[in-house]
Amino acid sequence: MLNNISLGRYYPAHSFLHETDPRVKTVLYFIYLVAIFMVKQPIAIGVLTGIIILQMILGKITPGIMWKTVKPILPLALFIFLINIFTIKDGTVLFSWKFIRVTGYGLERASIMAFRLLLLIISTSILLTLTTTPLKMSDALEGIFKPLQIIKIPVHEMAMMMSIALRFIPTLAAETDKIMKAQQSRGADYDTGSFINKVKGYITVLIPLFVSSFRRADELAVAMDARCYHGGKGRTKLNPLKLTARDVLAGIMFTLLAVLIVVIDLSLR
Amino acid sequence: MSISYGERFTTFPVLIKIVLKNKQTGYKQLPEDPNRIVVKDVSFSYDIMDENEHIAPRLALDGINVSIEKGSYTAILGSNGSGKSTLAKIIDILEVPDSGKVVIFGKDAGNDDLFWDIRSHCCVVFQNPDNQIVGTMIEEDVAFGPENLGIPNPELRERVDQALKDVGLYELRNREATALSGGQKQKLAIAGALAMHPDILILDEATAMLDPSSRDDFLALVEKMRMDKGLTLITITHDMTEALRCDKIIVVDKGKAVLEGAPEEIFMLDNLWDYGLKRPVKFNFAFEIAKLTGSELTKEDLVSDDALLSAIEKMLAKPGIKTPEAALEDKRLDEAEIIMSVKDLSYTYDGSDVKAIENINLDIRKGEVLGLVGESGCGKTTLISHMNAIFRPKEGDVIIHTKDGDLSCKNKKDTMKIRQNVGLVFQYPEYQLFEETVFKDIGYGLKKMKVSKEEAAVRIRDAAYLVGLTDKELSSSPFELSGGQKRRAAMAGVLVMKPGILVLDEPASGLDPKGRQEMFKIIKDLRDSGTTIILVSHNMDEAAKNCDRICVIDRGKIKAVGTPEELFENNRAEELGIQIPRITSFSGLLRARLEKKYPGITFDSVNFNPEKEAAAIVRAVCGRGGACA
Repeated sequence: MLNNISLGRYYPAHSFLHETDPRVKTVLYFIYLVAIFMVKQPIAIGVLTGIIILQMILGKITPGIMWKTVKPILPLALFIFLINIFTIKDGTVLFSWKFIRVTGYGLERASIMAFRLLLLIISTSILLTLTTTPLKMSDALEGIFKPLQIIKIPVHEMAMMMSIALRFIPTLAAETDKIMKAQQSRGADYDTGSFINKVKGYITVLIPLFVSSFRRADELAVAMDARCYHGGKGRTKLNPLKLTARDVLAGIMFTLLAVLIVVIDLSLR
Repeated sequence: MSISYGERFTTFPVLIKIVLKNKQTGYKQLPEDPNRIVVKDVSFSYDIMDENEHIAPRLALDGINVSIEKGSYTAILGSNGSGKSTLAKIIDILEVPDSGKVVIFGKDAGNDDLFWDIRSHCCVVFQNPDNQIVGTMIEEDVAFGPENLGIPNPELRERVDQALKDVGLYELRNREATALSGGQKQKLAIAGALAMHPDILILDEATAMLDPSSRDDFLALVEKMRMDKGLTLITITHDMTEALRCDKIIVVDKGKAVLEGAPEEIFMLDNLWDYGLKRPVKFNFAFEIAKLTGSELTKEDLVSDDALLSAIEKMLAKPGIKTPEAALEDKRLDEAEIIMSVKDLSYTYDGSDVKAIENINLDIRKGEVLGLVGESGCGKTTLISHMNAIFRPKEGDVIIHTKDGDLSCKNKKDTMKIRQNVGLVFQYPEYQLFEETVFKDIGYGLKKMKVSKEEAAVRIRDAAYLVGLTDKELSSSPFELSGGQKRRAAMAGVLVMKPGILVLDEPASGLDPKGRQEMFKIIKDLRDSGTTIILVSHNMDEAAKNCDRICVIDRGKIKAVGTPEELFENNRAEELGIQIPRITSFSGLLRARLEKKYPGITFDSVNFNPEKEAAAIVRAVCGRGGACA
């Protein structure tokens, strides 16, 4: 069941976005992060959605893949939607029952909040995880934050740690699944019982998972050592990042679009 | 001396080591032989914390001496914990000896200036495929090593592409590494090594987790690479037949190299068992015939199959052989009641179009050992996961017949009862231990079943003794046990529920020959005490020898079910696409020869126990009016 998580997973394909420089994508990601948090007007959000759909097409991401990414977030989006709908009391009352009061303004705000969360997840996965391999992503972060090395921040090591962490997500997910099955066959029950019991049940999963993660870390360290890893100094890259004119153009174009959206939003207020 | 060692990316116990070692003085110069790997008087100990948080050194290598020729193919054998993996690490300078000298092709490993030079020309492929992949994408992973060496493009690109072509993964280069099968992952590890242009390649139990066909595939690839690139190949293995492929065998025991020689010399010795080793199956068989005929084998006889067959023929022609008694037939279980039935079972994983298993129909009889064989990914694990309702049947059903009536795996209410009746031990169960003491860990299931403390204590002890654990182990932490003991503790945790049916997924994988034999002894004892056993196995020798019936699964479907005799006689195995047990294929060669020599000779049906098969052959020759007394 844990194998189906596609959050944070790479989707191999050849597309415009897959081939765009990851540094450009990372910068764009931050720009869109800001844009998503700034827009409040439905029209601006509509335009933003259009641009994100355009990005999806440029990344050759099928609706099916996107659905898998969004699915685990839906409960959270629903939760945000409900919280907003019940707490905003301004505006015309549409529906009222005992202490519950749903207003038109509340409905609008709640929808926008929930929708923005979904856009955030979609934008993250399109620009980063789905179209960029973890190693490229860590290359990009290393590239962007390289100046920090001057103040002795170990940028390369942090980037390497991040890429290894991402690389091991599917492996550890499979391991968790295995441990849970083994314990279930010994009578463990994670689905029923009180909340406390459930938490206790998960602790018995976490201990062997931790132990095995340490073992894996140990073995991986030896394996990296055996392959002559000695930090970032003197390392070359199979696919060094190259900023092409196309990358710069794509970066400028999407930045302008983001600015346009914010301008539309501000002008409508 | 160790400035460069200090830069290593490594974990803290090793760091302690490095600090301690800084105090030592450098190596003395050795007479340098540019064509050998020389390990001289090397001792090495791991620092582990004892109960009082003191650092207690555990000796892994104890003044070991090894010399390996350039371009040779050497097997290092030894029991679990004998120090053979540490030896490999010493050769690749992944560990620095406490004392002694290591000289690799004339380069002193104690010399700091040569450190990276030596390590970059020596590559290791480890046992667990998952724990040595660094890159997410296949080509990124292959590039990791040469990137560390600072190889610039376009040479880097050429090396990566060539290495991927060499191992046959070039077409997949842009795929995710985690999506590969176990065998492919190990090939990827080889590609990662080849891209570094090594002189030495060390396989540290690299085939232990592979099924027989990927294992043969993998070894053939490595041996081809050795020939093509002139590699010095060192393989650490528990598989004696694999060791036969080498030029030289070194046996390591308690941190010392105790035996060294050509395979035919090593396997002549009678005391291999003392080192946790045994002879390859065909040698076992030949030595048994020698014993029965009162003859001796010489090492020349062991050099090739042909020589061995001729020697056996000669032994059988010797006058005055005593006819061995006929082996007692095992009881047949055809009539035994059915204890579990799998009915029209199919299963498809979410997001997959292919059925992992399809229309499985299988009856399991009370008291039998049923083997499940098939390549990795054929659906064995999916099938056994249904047997105790870990997977609830979506199509079809699994019915457990008990004294108190039938239980259906479809029925959610029966789940707990089913799990008490059907114990399931997954592969590498030792990775799932979690309690403070072994005692508590074994008792986990009983606690869940709300068994009283007094009864639980009795049952926990019974289960522990059954798998050969003592009270001392019961009170210690499961993480302090050795690998083999951990596995037993994990098994006891299932046996404590007293299941009538026990499902074991590869219970002997990763154990040395002695450990394997002990594991099968436990299984036999369980069977004799009335437990029905379903055994998933890759090892056809052991499946044929230990199972009453074998079920062959291929791409999610049952291809054949029958006794080992039915499956392996008259070349049916070939038709089924399964490996023939080594004893059967070797004995088959002998039988063919004898049929030519003694026209009209009749043999008993094949026996999968080398000793019994040897007796059957001798009896057949006697029956044909050989020179028997």
